Amino acid sequence: MSKRRLSFAVLAVVIGVMLWRALTPESANAVVVYVSHDQVFSEPILKDFQRDTGIKVLAVYDTEETKSAGVMNRLIAEKANPQADVYWANEPIRAEALRQQGVSAPYRSPSADRIAEQYRDPEGHWTGFSARARILILRQGLKDKPTSIQAYTDPDFKGKAVIANPLFGTTTAHMAALFAVWGDDRAKAFLDALSKNGVQISSSNGESADQVAAGTFQFALVDSDDVHSRQKQGRPVEGLYPDQEADGLGCFIVPNAVLLINGGPHMEAGKKLIDYLLSRETERKLAYSDAAQIPLHPGVDTPPGVPRLEALKVMKVDYATVAAKMQAIQPLLRDWVGH
Amino acid sequence: MERRVTLLVVVVVLVIVGLLPLAAMFGKSIIVDGRLTLGVYEKLFANGRQHWPPIGNSLTLATLTAGCVTLLGVSLGLLLGKTDLPLRRTLAVLLSIPLLFPPYILAVCWFNLLASNGVLVHVIPARTLELLSGWLFGLPGCLWVLVSAFMPVVMILTLFYLHAVNPRLEEAGRLIARWPATLRYVTLPTILPGILFGGILVFLLALGEVGAPMFLRYAVFPVETLTQFSAFYDFGAAAAAASPLLAVTLLVLAFERRYLREKTYRLRPTTPGRRMLLVPLGRWRVPALLAVSLLATAMVVLPLLALVVSSLSPFAYPEAWNKAADSLARSLVFAAVGATLLTVFGFFCGYLIHHRALRLWRAVDTLTLLLFTLPGTVIGVGLIALWNRPATGFLYASAGMVIFAYLAQYTALSSRITLATLGNVPQSLEEAAQMTGAPWLARIAYVVLPAALPGVIAAWLIGFIFCLRDLGASMLVYPAGQDTLPARIYTLMANGAPSLISALCVILVAVTLISLAILGSLLRAVGSHR
Amino acid sequence: MSAIELRAVSKAYDGRAVVAGISVSVERGERVVLLGPSGCGKTTVLRLVAGLEVPDSGAITINGSPVAEGGRNLVEPERRHIGMVFQDLALWPHMTVSQHLEFALRYDIRTDLAHRPARIREALEMVRMADRAQAKPGELSGGQQQRVALARALVANPAVVLMDEPLSSLDLELNRYLRREILRLHAELGFTLVYVTHNREEAADIGSRVIAMRPWQDRPPHI
Repeated sequence: MSKRRLSFAVLAVVIGVMLWRALTPESANAVVVYVSHDQVFSEPILKDFQRDTGIKVLAVYDTEETKSAGVMNRLIAEKANPQADVYWANEPIRAEALRQQGVSAPYRSPSADRIAEQYRDPEGHWTGFSARARILILRQGLKDKPTSIQAYTDPDFKGKAVIANPLFGTTTAHMAALFAVWGDDRAKAFLDALSKNGVQISSSNGESADQVAAGTFQFALVDSDDVHSRQKQGRPVEGLYPDQEADGLGCFIVPNAVLLINGGPHMEAGKKLIDYLLSRETERKLAYSDAAQIPLHPGVDTPPGVPRLEALKVMKVDYATVAAKMQAIQPLLRDWVGH
Repeated sequence: MERRVTLLVVVVVLVIVGLLPLAAMFGKSIIVDGRLTLGVYEKLFANGRQHWPPIGNSLTLATLTAGCVTLLGVSLGLLLGKTDLPLRRTLAVLLSIPLLFPPYILAVCWFNLLASNGVLVHVIPARTLELLSGWLFGLPGCLWVLVSAFMPVVMILTLFYLHAVNPRLEEAGRLIARWPATLRYVTLPTILPGILFGGILVFLLALGEVGAPMFLRYAVFPVETLTQFSAFYDFGAAAAAASPLLAVTLLVLAFERRYLREKTYRLRPTTPGRRMLLVPLGRWRVPALLAVSLLATAMVVLPLLALVVSSLSPFAYPEAWNKAADSLARSLVFAAVGATLLTVFGFFCGYLIHHRALRLWRAVDTLTLLLFTLPGTVIGVGLIALWNRPATGFLYASAGMVIFAYLAQYTALSSRITLATLGNVPQSLEEAAQMTGAPWLARIAYVVLPAALPGVIAAWLIGFIFCLRDLGASMLVYPAGQDTLPARIYTLMANGAPSLISALCVILVAVTLISLAILGSLLRAVGSHR
Repeated sequence: MSAIELRAVSKAYDGRAVVAGISVSVERGERVVLLGPSGCGKTTVLRLVAGLEVPDSGAITINGSPVAEGGRNLVEPERRHIGMVFQDLALWPHMTVSQHLEFALRYDIRTDLAHRPARIREALEMVRMADRAQAKPGELSGGQQQRVALARALVANPAVVLMDEPLSSLDLELNRYLRREILRLHAELGFTLVYVTHNREEAADIGSRVIAMRPWQDRPPHI
């Protein structure tokens, strides 16, 4: 055989093997998880699970731009033909929305026994763990520091604040929580006041945090892990838990939530992953990671800078109500963003 | 018969990977719960007022980008291809580097440069930096980033089409006038169809660009499709949102087909052995070199330097490698497979168009161009709409979807390269083989392909680059656990340390350059062996 | 039975008639030259016989078998067993002289595998290129390239050979030399030759019969 033919034959075999590998589905000893939690925090946990159990983890992550809703909606689109086994949501509202769509299957994990009822679906479709708090990120050195989310409507801060697009991510959930707690009229008035006070809209919490760190704005409402990560990077910012007065609203707590997908290809492996994610050890790791998340299991060891849940005044919400409200206020929020 | 069947199969595959997904997506927008309805379109136009600003932004950005890129690209193409400017090869390669990665990485680079704790903070006064930083987020910054990203398209096309100018025509001009007039009245008019084609291509690419405008907070309309789908998985609304852009794209392509296409087909490099005439710059040599070098520094060196500098933290590279080695390996595999299939399909599409072998040759050319200029997110949405069903689940859950996305989006590249290459291969070569009794596939394998080999290899290389850097479609369709490096970078951007993100971007750029260097040497070896 | 017969064959491009109702008959072993200026359709006639163009109307037969009729080719060019020398020679730049002839025989079912090497050697010797068998076209002179093109056209022993202005780019001395070579090969092998040229001297030398052609638009006014 001539050299050229041999080269082409070798090349054809190599390409063929690559193509076969690309098209061959993964082995049975695997679990498919769709993740809305930031990859930089969630991936190490999933890798630990893979190492500890030998079950291969195949993950799909949301991007900042899909606003933590992309994989949620991919799950809805795949309902008739589920590809995933587990969904790791970065807040329970999305998990609740999936439960309502019939995407999830009930599973009460033994790992979740000591997590408060407020953070679990009564029928066991989803369970919360490792929470973020919605807090204010402030530019360091501010003379007058905002202490409440009402600072967005304060004329002293006109044009000096930014908020992530409320159509996506934890900001949507926060808005829905405000509508649930305040009622529609007061919440709409709040939004109008934001517009009048020149509040800018960024594409994401991360971007809001970067803008405050860069000095473009003085404060923003973001997740606690956004603050923590910028502080770790040495950026000149600080975090403040808003509305902590005795008669204050309290800060909105956003736990992660995990649910089992109905009809997923590897349901037993999915249950094992859920048990792992809901364990105290995972909560400890997430508390100590750059995610700096607040454990929901009582008594879990946390580093300085990560408060215990019992030390915070939290907004009292029912996540199912918030989820229903979130869908109801979508048109209003779209209009508000459009303006 | 063999020719007809093979070409028909290629067309059918193109329709399946490209046209059917679009049809499925638009089908979902007009068939809701089994009923035909134009509800999403009515809603789109009812909310027309809120869409005009982003549509206006998209058209403004695309027009300005195309205009600036054409002026700059042609000027650089002339300087680097037609004069005796020193170091022109090096400068041409340097200025082409932005083509190797998605435009949003350039946006990240400029953010790193101009941020208050960025690379330039010690070099530029704070007020100037603040002003520049303000310009970055909005139209000026977006324009600068896209001009840097797409300028190589027109520059490379100009370099290529300059070889189509018969030197005798220029010599005839030089007997009458000096070089500037000869360039103006002889050279440029000859290659004008090619330049305009390049400008149109850049207009359509800028129109569909999502990553950079999103990062730089400039509200453009393709973001609406991404938002509708990625956030809401609303196929109908996503399709409706894509329709204005699709309409503009079709209009522009119709114009291109009517006025330019035949003329660009006829632009073929002159036969080898005829050397292109070079313009001596004389006393302008040094100023021109300085100007081009400054531009290369501003457009390429500075942002890449910012990327490298911001990646220089002790653990960034080990962490980047740890987080992304698997996705890098996958990207290389997918890109190699994608490039190979693109070369095969593109070759046959180019052959079909060159020989007008089937009656629908014009439709094939238009379809490949349309798919190339559509935002990747639209193609990704379409692929999901078509393949996400139980019967095709095996394919939907595989990396085949990523390959389909590459085929849909980039066949135009390999097709047009083949077209240009075949223009230089005398038809008599194939006819001579035909007269010996060789069947069609044998003629292709033993005569046409070897004669067109440099073009085929160039098509593979370019397909490889574009597949490696692809983000839009592959981000939406990759199966669980099989993300590509650009998708991995994008997902890690949320809360990933800037040094980590920069290190990942540097790895992507470096791997692309190294792959090109290796494969480029292979090309030279094959060429010299012939 | 004629070797080649064209009956009322017409061909137009973009509505412009290039060949209009031509009828020609070429006997076996004949050397017919189509002589005429550029644009008179002589190359078109050759390509119609080869099957590389399809006649709009009329019929073409080769050795008594119809190959084109009713506006379509009944027999594709690769099945007509015709040897052809192109105006630009169409030598494959990546193949050696020997590989040209191997390829030309590869799809010829009339020559069996065992006899191919001998046939190739014969053809090379016939055109006096045996010592350049491993050279590529880029390494050969104009005259040598011509001889390779001839060898490729003749190696499969075709009954019909077509030549489209094969000597037009050569200087006078080489042109005359190669004319003699063509005549010698014709005498040795006895194929039917259709030869296209615009050169009267060449036509007179090569052809046993010369058909003068002129462009269709130069036809005399109808009375």
